[in-house]
Amino acid sequence: VLFPTATFAIFFLIVLPLSWLLMPRVHRWRPFIIGASFVFYSWWDWRFIVLLAGSILWNQLMAVRVHQAVGQRARQKALLWLAVGGNLAVLGYFKYYDFFVSSTENLATLVGLDIPLDVRTVILPVGISFYTFMGISYIVDVYRGDTEPTTLEKFAVYLSFFPHLVAGPIVRPNELIPQIETPRSPRRVDTSRAFYLIAAGLFKKVVISSYLAGHIVDEVFANPDQYSSLEILIAVYTDIAIGIALLLGFTFPQNFDSPYAAVSIQDFWRRWHMTLSRWLRDYLYIPLGGSRRGVAITYRNLLLTMLLGGLWHGAGWTFVAWGLIHGTALCAERFWRERHGTKPEESFTWVDYFWRRLATFHVVCFAWIFFRSETFGVAWDMITGLFTRWGQPSPLVTGPVLLAIAVGIGSQYLPPRVPRAILAVFSRLNVVAQAAVLAVALMVTQALGSQDVAPFIYFRF
Amino acid sequence: MAVESDRAREVGPRGPLGSPTEEGRRFSTAARALAVTMLALFLAALLNAQNIYKSVYNQPEGTQREVALALAGPLREVSMALRLDRPRAWVESATGREHATIDTEIVLPPPLPTETTPVTATGKSALPTGERTPSPPSREESEKVAFTPRNKMRLWIAGDSLVITPGYAVYRVLGRNDAVETVGDVDGRVATGLTRPDVFNWFRHVTEQVEKRTIHTVVFCFGGNDDHDLMTGLPEGTSLDGFGGPKWVKEYRRRVGGMMDIVNRAGGFVVWLSLPVTDDAAQSRRWRLLNRAALAEAQRRAGKVAYVDMYGLLSKDGEFASYLRNPDGELEQVRAPDGVHLERAGGDIVAKEVARQVRRVYDFSSWRNQ
Repeated sequence: VLFPTATFAIFFLIVLPLSWLLMPRVHRWRPFIIGASFVFYSWWDWRFIVLLAGSILWNQLMAVRVHQAVGQRARQKALLWLAVGGNLAVLGYFKYYDFFVSSTENLATLVGLDIPLDVRTVILPVGISFYTFMGISYIVDVYRGDTEPTTLEKFAVYLSFFPHLVAGPIVRPNELIPQIETPRSPRRVDTSRAFYLIAAGLFKKVVISSYLAGHIVDEVFANPDQYSSLEILIAVYTDIAIGIALLLGFTFPQNFDSPYAAVSIQDFWRRWHMTLSRWLRDYLYIPLGGSRRGVAITYRNLLLTMLLGGLWHGAGWTFVAWGLIHGTALCAERFWRERHGTKPEESFTWVDYFWRRLATFHVVCFAWIFFRSETFGVAWDMITGLFTRWGQPSPLVTGPVLLAIAVGIGSQYLPPRVPRAILAVFSRLNVVAQAAVLAVALMVTQALGSQDVAPFIYFRF
Repeated sequence: MAVESDRAREVGPRGPLGSPTEEGRRFSTAARALAVTMLALFLAALLNAQNIYKSVYNQPEGTQREVALALAGPLREVSMALRLDRPRAWVESATGREHATIDTEIVLPPPLPTETTPVTATGKSALPTGERTPSPPSREESEKVAFTPRNKMRLWIAGDSLVITPGYAVYRVLGRNDAVETVGDVDGRVATGLTRPDVFNWFRHVTEQVEKRTIHTVVFCFGGNDDHDLMTGLPEGTSLDGFGGPKWVKEYRRRVGGMMDIVNRAGGFVVWLSLPVTDDAAQSRRWRLLNRAALAEAQRRAGKVAYVDMYGLLSKDGEFASYLRNPDGELEQVRAPDGVHLERAGGDIVAKEVARQVRRVYDFSSWRNQ
């Protein structure tokens, strides 16, 4: 079930009261929320609940085994590799099978070998990238001694909890499992923030992102040799997830923090998909040696982490290129800092902010070309167009498109005190007034939204 | 015991309600959160009642639709009585968006007299034996209508979601010719077709478009959502049998032919894309039936309509294939993971055939030699 749908609204209207009714008896709440999460997941394709259940059982079994092997270093390490390998094998099959097979076959053809391999499209289960990473973090945290294995029931809630199941955020065991162990207080629900995140997330997704996708981005990338302008805005789907979790009494970590206001690529990765960034840092970059093993190894680790981060986003060489650009930019920034030192942000003038943000924004947008392009040919056409098609008419750059871009980027520079003040006022309104404000916001979002809100995945024809 | 210990460990103070957060907001109770959520959704439903009703009306026939209509109908009545449908109408009017109306009227022109020129059969075809892919008869160079950069061939592409990827590919192939002008974006509308004008009235839309703009060539792809029993907008007194029955096929052919006639009457040439083979054998069988209807109508309008056999072009030995080899021998993914839609490389294959068919009728190259 997708969040911005009537089906989800009905589902949530049933789950929300039942969840709070059962919450005081948390041992009853947990089976209920597991059931609800499995219903949520099975709505897309019921067959894949077996995969989700398998992931829960495998990770729990292996976490217990890893924990039991404390003191037997070699055995524990072997179990860790087995557990992580099992997770990656499943992810590899469902997400990367056809990518690896077709790449291998094309490479063989290139060197004159004819090796017919079994190329077929494997259906990618929704959310598998997210819950696989959460499973790995649980195993690794148990291995490191940062957490102890919990019960199968609690782990099942942790991995399948429906607000984060489809599109994250990637929540860590020590962030969510303690919240699952004790009942949430029904007297301290941060509803104003929850409603704000949901309403703002819906507006960004349904109005801004869908509008720009349908009116300029999709067409420009379909015809890169005819256009010279580009703008991308990625939907902040996780805002809605965080808001929904808040209404259920749970706190998820923040996932986006005005990434287009970043003053460097390093800063961008502290603001963009923050839960993925820290996962890559803690479970890939640091285990590779981080910055502790000399300059060359540090640069290698940065590049490798970003390359794999790129591949996590999608099975294609253009995603690898996207990761390579970010990795190279991070290395270049590090090189610059080591040579010239770092100016603390407190001493930035507006000129510093301006050119740093401008440069970061352009590097990020340049990398997005590869992220969004289906092939290198398309990316190349886009890039050459940026330099060779100045002065040509841009019929797609209309007033509403410019307005949507301005709203999207402008929202990144909104001082935090503005939404804070609005939320403080909203939280003091009575029930009817709050409901009326939200209803109007939903109505406007729907009225302005794209009439075909399914630009990323075609669920219908 | 477990209950008591659970209760005893409940997180957070049980102090006075409305205690503020560190950022000045006030916490709420779960009951209040629930009340606000339910009331907000109810009010939003009233404000959006007209659109909810249309969405429900557009659903496929069945119990779910009946139940939903029974709920959405009274909701719409209440909304209209309280004039709560007005705010959304204002927003839509102010932003130039379409209102949610249910329009099932189908007005079709009479067909043009059929040309007697023979239909040639070209291209590979995965259709059942005896069915061939017709091409428009290739005209002599001197007979072709010539277009130049000053007198461009205007090309429009429309249909359901299956037209989007090949449509963009056609724009890429033909659009780079200076004597060709694309008319607007690819007009691909998800979840629409010719059986349900209540969802989107293509007959009215195409009539308006060809009247409003000068269009020389139209590429159509319809049918992806038409393989079911229900048809709305039937002429009075018409009854249908089920999908694929003689009456159903007759009415469907009338609609397909009517779409071709709307364009032909305005002087335009139609390229009709067949439905592709899919990874679902039953669906592919149903789609072949729709393809046969379109093929028959195309054959009746030889010279004015070209039928491009997407089914055959994208199959491997008559079967579904996710990957096909390109002319360089490289494997390319031609079909989307859903087993229905096309990937970019699949669109490119179709676009080459579309361009070939259009070039049989129109000349937009000779201006380079002048």
